[in-house]
Amino acid sequence: MTVPNGLRITALAAASCLALTACISGDDQGTDAEGGDDTIRIGISLPLTGDFAEPGKGVQQGYEAWAAYTNENGGLLGRDVELTILDDQSNADRVAADYERLINEDGVDLVFGPFSTRLVIPAAQVAQDYGFLFVEPAGAAPEVFSQGFDNLFYAAPAVADDHYNHLADAIEAMPAAERPQTAAYAAMDDPFAMGTAYGLKARLEAMGVTTVADEVYPPNTTDFSSIAATIASSDADIMVGGSQYQDAVNLILALQQLDYQPRMAAFSTAPTNPEFPEAIGEKTEGILSPTGYTPEADYPSNQEFVEFYTEEYGTAPGEDQANAWTTGQVVAAAVEAVGCADPEPDCQQQLIDWLHENEVETVVGPLSWDADGRPEGAHLIQQYVDGQIRIVLPEDAAEAELIVEKPAW
Amino acid sequence: MSLFVQSLVLGVLLGGLYALLAAGLTLYFGVMRVVMIAHSAFLILAAYLAWVFTRETGLDPLLSMVGTVPLFFVVGVAIQRLLMARLRPATLTMMSVLLTFSIALVIEGMLGWLFTGTQRRVRLPYGGADFEAAGANVAVVKLIAFVLAALSLLALYLLLTRTRFGQALRATIQHPEAARLVGIDTDRTAGYGFGIGLATAAIGGTALALDSTIYPSLHWHWIGPLMAIIVVGGLGSIPGAAIAAMILGIGQALLQIPLNTTWAQTIFYVALFVTLMVRPQGFFGGRLAQRF
Repeated sequence: MTVPNGLRITALAAASCLALTACISGDDQGTDAEGGDDTIRIGISLPLTGDFAEPGKGVQQGYEAWAAYTNENGGLLGRDVELTILDDQSNADRVAADYERLINEDGVDLVFGPFSTRLVIPAAQVAQDYGFLFVEPAGAAPEVFSQGFDNLFYAAPAVADDHYNHLADAIEAMPAAERPQTAAYAAMDDPFAMGTAYGLKARLEAMGVTTVADEVYPPNTTDFSSIAATIASSDADIMVGGSQYQDAVNLILALQQLDYQPRMAAFSTAPTNPEFPEAIGEKTEGILSPTGYTPEADYPSNQEFVEFYTEEYGTAPGEDQANAWTTGQVVAAAVEAVGCADPEPDCQQQLIDWLHENEVETVVGPLSWDADGRPEGAHLIQQYVDGQIRIVLPEDAAEAELIVEKPAW
Repeated sequence: MSLFVQSLVLGVLLGGLYALLAAGLTLYFGVMRVVMIAHSAFLILAAYLAWVFTRETGLDPLLSMVGTVPLFFVVGVAIQRLLMARLRPATLTMMSVLLTFSIALVIEGMLGWLFTGTQRRVRLPYGGADFEAAGANVAVVKLIAFVLAALSLLALYLLLTRTRFGQALRATIQHPEAARLVGIDTDRTAGYGFGIGLATAAIGGTALALDSTIYPSLHWHWIGPLMAIIVVGGLGSIPGAAIAAMILGIGQALLQIPLNTTWAQTIFYVALFVTLMVRPQGFFGGRLAQRF
């Protein structure tokens, strides 16, 4: 049988259109049918696929655990909460469209933020345009707070630049001769990851530590051998990584392959991941990492959180889950105090105003914010000591003593 | 100086891996005028199979090739005979892009569904091991990948030049009609050629898994540079691809010293543009490519 090409293409196009329409209308019916006055509907967009899929799913688990816990304990204002979670594929254009849709078409009552700075900024802009309160679990870079958002609150103890503050304090407290003299930095080209490394860089340079290598790499980098070669040849005393997860693992292995032995090594995010020691083969001793959360912390609501979460998922929660849960706690505190949860600008403004003026008890400790939404705290510093990741700084929260000279890896 | 030597060594090791990964890609084009977008997806699939193999058995990932190489050969033959052969010759090159693009999406989706988007890494006792040679550190895993690539390329070269099948395959590449006239079953030969191309993906993927984290969408990261390599080397020319891969691999590693990682990556695309402007048939081979 021969059919003219044009006809085939037309037929294909028509069929695709029909299929697409079916999907769209199917979707609409789904959302219309759900949710009445007896539920509070919360709209969220998360990177469930793409670059941030891993932490994105962690945040999703945290949000879902929080919703389940809240509903088991009488809901918010006596109403059940219901989450609508969309996948933005780690794409900044999609995340804005997602929030637009959640607020405009789905008519959600509240929104929670997505994961990571690159997605938080466009999402917060949409929320700002509609006057919505925007509490977010993972946008910690300086850019987030310099956009003039007055509806944004970061639900974690500290912004990216301050993550390493306790470590910088500890190094500053050493006698000058014992401090590291040279430093190498490697940071992912990502506002959060760079923020952590450059926050420490600014502090170290201020106390006279010379920068001998400063590398930035794109998020999709998997071959770190050349970056490692530059750092190894600089032979810096302290190695600082502004990393997410897989980049730190690959970089550490590449550094080991070149036999580079720094006196101190600090990486953001990755070492706190439970898979980290598994991935780099237990040569973790002495590696430092800032963390905004640990299940061991004895804040009042944390124990309940860890118990509930562990029962639900079988493992203790990590930082992503905790920050998501914190987001829920922060919004819930405002909703309970103000007594409303609806999309009306009046109600949203009252929620925003309340958070600007009050402190909230959360699983990461008491949180309060400055006018731009920066939380006013610093991160704990953890270190692998005897094969376990333990809090070593600040001293009053320490579970183990800081190892100053990192053993060879 | 030592940084230069170190980067040179890293570049040679990287170039060897690129050469193996690009060899299969250029072979498909040579044999069938097929642009195989899914080649790098099969690399990642092989890497995942190596990872699963090591996780389940605790044995070295290299042993997984005993299974994956024959498996990929059979899958390659099947793809050629059941899918590619059905495309109309007049639009084959164009349509093969669409077809293999869809195969790549299917593989990516399947990996994501089975193993989630989490980054995986084969854990090796010798993952961080190295030795010193000529003032540079050579990582054991990178050397294994390089040796694997060199051996496979040598085997491929001998197969193509020293065996009757190789002669038939080269005849099919050079002039299919003439090959048919002298009695070569070009359909079957093309099927086997495709199978061999995919078998190199099994080896390349295993080599990749030794020293890199893997995730389902990683193949998009590889296909661009590999396509650039085979165009620079001359479409359809395996020695051309190997030489271009080596030069670009070394170039990328050395460029990272003055530039940063982001800019060093652009060498592939700069080389691609220059090739298309100056010598569109490729620098090292590629009498074939003139016809397209």
